[in-house]
Amino acid sequence: MEPLIAVNCSTSECTSLSPTAPIWQDVLAQAITGELLAAMNYTSLSEICDDPDEVADALEHAQIERGHAARFAAEGHKIGVEASNNVDGKHWKRLREAFQGCITERDFIGCLIVQEIMLESFAVASYARVGRVAPGSLGQTFARIAAEEEEHVDHAMAILRAERALDTQRFDDKVHRLHLDVMTTLAKMLAKECKDGHCEVCHGNCVKPSLFEVSLSAAQLRGASLQQYLKTLDMLGIPGEVTLGWVAQLPV
Amino acid sequence: MGGSVAGVVERESIGEAPVEQVDFALIGHQESWRAAADVLAVLRGPEHARLPDDEIKDILPWIPPRVVCHVEVGSILNRKIVRAKARGLYIDSFIPPDCLGAGYVHENIARVRAAAACAIKAGAKIVSLGGFSSILIEGNFDQLPEQYDTVFTTGNTLTVGFIVQGIKKMCALEGRDLSRSTLLIVGATGDVGSGCARCLAPLVKRMLLSARNVDRLRRLIAELESDGVQAEIATDVLGPTFPRNDPQRFSAEADLVICAASLASPSLLLDRIAPDAIICDAGYPKNLSPSAHVPGVKVFFGGLGQVTGGLTFAPDFHGILNRHPFPDVVHGCLLEGMALALDRRFEPFSQGRGFITPERVAEMETIAARHGIYLAPLYNAEGPLALTTSTSTRRISATLHA
Repeated sequence: MEPLIAVNCSTSECTSLSPTAPIWQDVLAQAITGELLAAMNYTSLSEICDDPDEVADALEHAQIERGHAARFAAEGHKIGVEASNNVDGKHWKRLREAFQGCITERDFIGCLIVQEIMLESFAVASYARVGRVAPGSLGQTFARIAAEEEEHVDHAMAILRAERALDTQRFDDKVHRLHLDVMTTLAKMLAKECKDGHCEVCHGNCVKPSLFEVSLSAAQLRGASLQQYLKTLDMLGIPGEVTLGWVAQLPV
Repeated sequence: MGGSVAGVVERESIGEAPVEQVDFALIGHQESWRAAADVLAVLRGPEHARLPDDEIKDILPWIPPRVVCHVEVGSILNRKIVRAKARGLYIDSFIPPDCLGAGYVHENIARVRAAAACAIKAGAKIVSLGGFSSILIEGNFDQLPEQYDTVFTTGNTLTVGFIVQGIKKMCALEGRDLSRSTLLIVGATGDVGSGCARCLAPLVKRMLLSARNVDRLRRLIAELESDGVQAEIATDVLGPTFPRNDPQRFSAEADLVICAASLASPSLLLDRIAPDAIICDAGYPKNLSPSAHVPGVKVFFGGLGQVTGGLTFAPDFHGILNRHPFPDVVHGCLLEGMALALDRRFEPFSQGRGFITPERVAEMETIAARHGIYLAPLYNAEGPLALTTSTSTRRISATLHA
């Protein structure tokens, strides 16, 4: 596993969360890993951009995502846990490989689809759910970062809509190809049980069976993520009956 | 339970020109988890295993309202020359089948609004609000999104037409004289129930009305009487020994019953009606409980029509979205929009509550019949109805309720 991010925290605020702290620790570990992966993705994206403004934008995004990771880590400290991360964990590694595939092909649009449509939908939805139930500043941080992630999408949406307008069928086929790779992986991550073995991010046993203790569930997180994903695809203009079929065919 | 599903369509999206002509849209929802599972099975395709029930219940509530399939309906008009057709969409609001109760009304209205937004965005000229969609919006069309060129209809007029036709047909099959019958309408204050009352009151000997809200029932009786229609409140509803608004106790004199209540699930037991009563269950979901045991009665499902000019779905949802033992049978509320589309009458024919009259029903029936849309063959939970009278004890099974 990669070392913990260095975070400057003057004091740790330990709340009375001892019984559920390990659960939050794993929730934070997934969030931190996701943010670090996003930072890596945006950094890679900056290396294939031709437009200097897009390069600067991608690098700025990368920095923002690293900032998110640091904020999550700080929240872990406040509740007395060291939340780890593992971008080489089974599912996150696969997601990174999917993105790298687009980088290799210098497919800027593909990169946006993977990161802004698919991964960000998952982040926005799941952080928002956590933000509703997590106590104190932990919940507030998740809610704030969910809102910040949602703001990222607007710029990418404009680019993607314009791209779709050039050749609708080609664009939709591209989204579907990436969906089959990325969303299948996300669906496995979000399944109620980890049927493919340990995710390699949770610090002990799988956290999913324990989520109910903090008023969460894998089913909720999955449902919210898929809902956000479908709405985002709607905003792109891809027919609802088409995307419905895509999502209905995901593994459970 | 799904969070906010009211996906508000952006104005710029609504302004985009739709790719294909969409004459009509049908907004509906599944009445059972079994039906929902079948829809998802079609969407998953034969190469994917059916989802387990627990997964379906976890996933479905999160699906935002959206188009499920394209629908094409044919007309018998001019079929030898050019077959008239209307093209449309079926939009499911994905209201969970067990979330139709009062506690979910706000969320469900949001779902119907989102489904309506899909229809508007697709450029549908007319939209039929099926099942609970119309009940939720009935009388509250201002709850729908800004409508541009799209009109909405609850479809209740044609539904009433088919209910009344069904009652007449069953009476004829059973050798029952309608003019000697006592008709009980359960859910009488609803748009469909009150429409049935106006249409059948002149034809029956006596009419009893039942509803949960007795005050509203009294107002309906007064309104009907001012139009020259005689009706009574089903006395058992008011009986001092019974709980008020108890719809389970009716008159033992009722030998014709129309169930048109907006019940969240099939729960009506009908434990006190005439022993040889004819019962029309026109609910969606059905009103009658699968465990209802009423010896000697004849039950049929009402409000259904059949398209004889051809009906196709893409993807192919035949037998899934229309789960009936006869081909091309569809609920009247949805057929109304389709008939109006075939007739190129894009108008909000059925709106609000309390405006269905025999004249309006006749007009709508004429439009439907012109295009080959007629009363569907009669059937119930056990299948097509036998044409001969049966006096054997009949248990209402859950076969077609599941």
